[in-house]
Amino acid sequence: MPGFVESRDEHGEKTVVVEPSRLVEACEYLRGDGFNFLADISAADYLGWGERGVAGYIGTAAGRDLNRPGSQGLERLPEPKPKRFAMNYHLLAIPDGRRVRVKVWLDDGEPVPSVVSVWPTADWHEREVLDLMGIAIEGHPNPTRIILEDDWEGHPLRKDYPIGGEPVRFSGEE
Amino acid sequence: MAIASERPRIYEGTRIPSPVPTMLQVPEELRGSEDLLQVNFGPNHPSTHGVLRLVVDLHGETVVGLRAVIGYLHTGFEKNMEQKTWWKAITYPERIDYVSFQNNELVFVLAIEKLLGLEVPEKATWMRMCLAELNRIHSHLVWLGTAALELGAISMFWYCFRERDQILDLSELVGGTRMHTRYFQAGGLAEDIPRGFFPEARKFVDWMPKAVDDYEAILDQNEIWLERTKRVGLLSADDAIALGQSGPVLRGSGVEWDLRKAQPYLAYDQVEFRVPTYPNGDVWDRYKVHMDEMRESTRIVGQCLDRLEGMEGEPWIADDRKVVLPPREELHTSMESLIHHFKIVTEGYRVPEGEVYVAVESPRGELGCYVVSDGGPRPWRVKFRAPSFVALEATATCMSDALVADMIAIVGSLDTVMGEVDR
Amino acid sequence: MPVERLPGVQTGKTPEEIEEEVRRGVLLTSLDRAVGWARKQSMWPATFGLACCAIEMMSTGAGQYDLSRWGMELFRGSPRQADLLIVSGRVAHKMAAPLRQIYDQMLEPKWVIAMGACASSGGMFNNYAVLQGVDKIVAVDIHVPGCPPRPEALVEGIVRLQEKIKAGVPPAYEIRGVAS
Repeated sequence: MPGFVESRDEHGEKTVVVEPSRLVEACEYLRGDGFNFLADISAADYLGWGERGVAGYIGTAAGRDLNRPGSQGLERLPEPKPKRFAMNYHLLAIPDGRRVRVKVWLDDGEPVPSVVSVWPTADWHEREVLDLMGIAIEGHPNPTRIILEDDWEGHPLRKDYPIGGEPVRFSGEE
Repeated sequence: MAIASERPRIYEGTRIPSPVPTMLQVPEELRGSEDLLQVNFGPNHPSTHGVLRLVVDLHGETVVGLRAVIGYLHTGFEKNMEQKTWWKAITYPERIDYVSFQNNELVFVLAIEKLLGLEVPEKATWMRMCLAELNRIHSHLVWLGTAALELGAISMFWYCFRERDQILDLSELVGGTRMHTRYFQAGGLAEDIPRGFFPEARKFVDWMPKAVDDYEAILDQNEIWLERTKRVGLLSADDAIALGQSGPVLRGSGVEWDLRKAQPYLAYDQVEFRVPTYPNGDVWDRYKVHMDEMRESTRIVGQCLDRLEGMEGEPWIADDRKVVLPPREELHTSMESLIHHFKIVTEGYRVPEGEVYVAVESPRGELGCYVVSDGGPRPWRVKFRAPSFVALEATATCMSDALVADMIAIVGSLDTVMGEVDR
Repeated sequence: MPVERLPGVQTGKTPEEIEEEVRRGVLLTSLDRAVGWARKQSMWPATFGLACCAIEMMSTGAGQYDLSRWGMELFRGSPRQADLLIVSGRVAHKMAAPLRQIYDQMLEPKWVIAMGACASSGGMFNNYAVLQGVDKIVAVDIHVPGCPPRPEALVEGIVRLQEKIKAGVPPAYEIRGVAS
């Protein structure tokens, strides 16, 4: 598969990490393999990942270490991520039902090529990513904001963008 | 592939416009023509489903240019959910697709449970299925009422909303409020099923097929309805898959794809139902898919009630006290329960690190939820794959050679809910 | 006979204007009352359904909780023909401009009901995208709480609005002295 970096299997789902420069070739390869349906394009911002200690498996019966008092379950830091942004393409093969997630790691400012030529449905998904996350999409036929106003400044889903809104009176936030 | 190859294709080749697949652009020969009129539909318009704005170029009555502008209901769900704990964040997804609220809750709760590796008791699974199917009927009723209203069949609105109120009464019986019940929790249901639910639900299940027969009696033979929906808004199977369509739009174009059968979740593999598929890819076929789905959902609800009536006294939520609130009686006697309750409500339970994509078959198509957890009490990233967002992308393709009046029928048949589109 | 006003109501009028009105009021009060009765009996709402509350508003207009009992079954598509704007649903900042435009197109006297928590105060969405209460851009007469409010709750809001009109309370833009 062109541009392949690594692949993992978790929770019954297969994730394939691909180089951004060879993304379109990889997608065409997968479409030829039967993945004719692009379900979703999700971008995630990992700024600030791993700065706080987090629990391992405290939500389930297995995996809690009762013999480490005082640890409060903060056993380890989460696995560090290679770059700040991840673009996830969720693919589905329609008659067979196979699913795969194609992941691309990007730095701030690094553009990703558009897959509109492979699956036309990517048009609006990519516009939403560039609107709300600010990831530049190269080769998109209509790279304009879609959900926010055209003159909005900033990209709200980034972790350094404030939640906004008003302080709630008498709640101590003012 | 379950596409009937012996039937003639809906149209040859592809009608997806280029270079922009989601925008119809005025052809070269008409640009600058005096007969070209640009009209703005919405965002406040009686017949767009919510706040959708369509900028339409008309050449006479034919639509030659179409551009959809969305974002008028953007609520910032995904960012808001990152600020709340997992337990509190469950109230948010319901309001995304406000017409099929149970399905939104369901997909988010299923994603949390997948990350936690939590096992849900059978009673909860069957009740979730029952409520999700009731919600599917509810969503189709609202769709039918409003779509028919827009095409002029105003009386359908009153009949559909009569049944819809019956479903909401059932919902209120179970969850305490008509819409947005927040009844699904990570681990099962928030509370036990009240005993009065079963007789009331049975009455509804007995009445509903007759109601669907009534609707079909009004619309199926109606000359105007047939003229306005047959051969209008054609979408071939290949174009539908390329455009990411799912749900009734895809099944109306001849592709038999339903997540409940292909990748069953909850207990869909243990109930009997058909997946209605129609081959012609026009508005009429999508309407028939919706009507048949209402009947099939009523069958599923009947089967769920049969199973649930035998499960009286079984647990309705998982037993894991680190995630699930303890029963209130225990709070008076057990110190550990009190501490668990306190920790879950204030700090929130922690979901292990990982990322998950869960998809369910909402009444509009594949509703997906992509969740990234950092192991903490709050979601790191939640993204909802909204089927209406994708359905609107297909508007331009369906609208090739359509008249203005057809535009209303087509946008109606795509069954969009703007809350989902804009999130 | 003095002009009937609810106690404590502030109007944007000077003492001289009020005096003048009291002098004229003796003749006009019964006419005022008749006009108030006529206005409240057949208010025409404008279609402004945005989100979940819109579905409950449609339900309120449908058969079981019939709005035509209060003269309001006729939802007008054009704001020029409407008296009442029921803002039902969350108002995004992008939608605020069209909302104000619709409100401006309505003719006086006009009333606004902010239906639901999101229209009254932004609701559960205290963030960058949602307008924190529609009373930031239009003058609201009645706020109906709920998420979404039951049809009966919306009906209670409408009935209270009708009682206000019957009692002679001027519409909210007059009370607050803002542009209508």
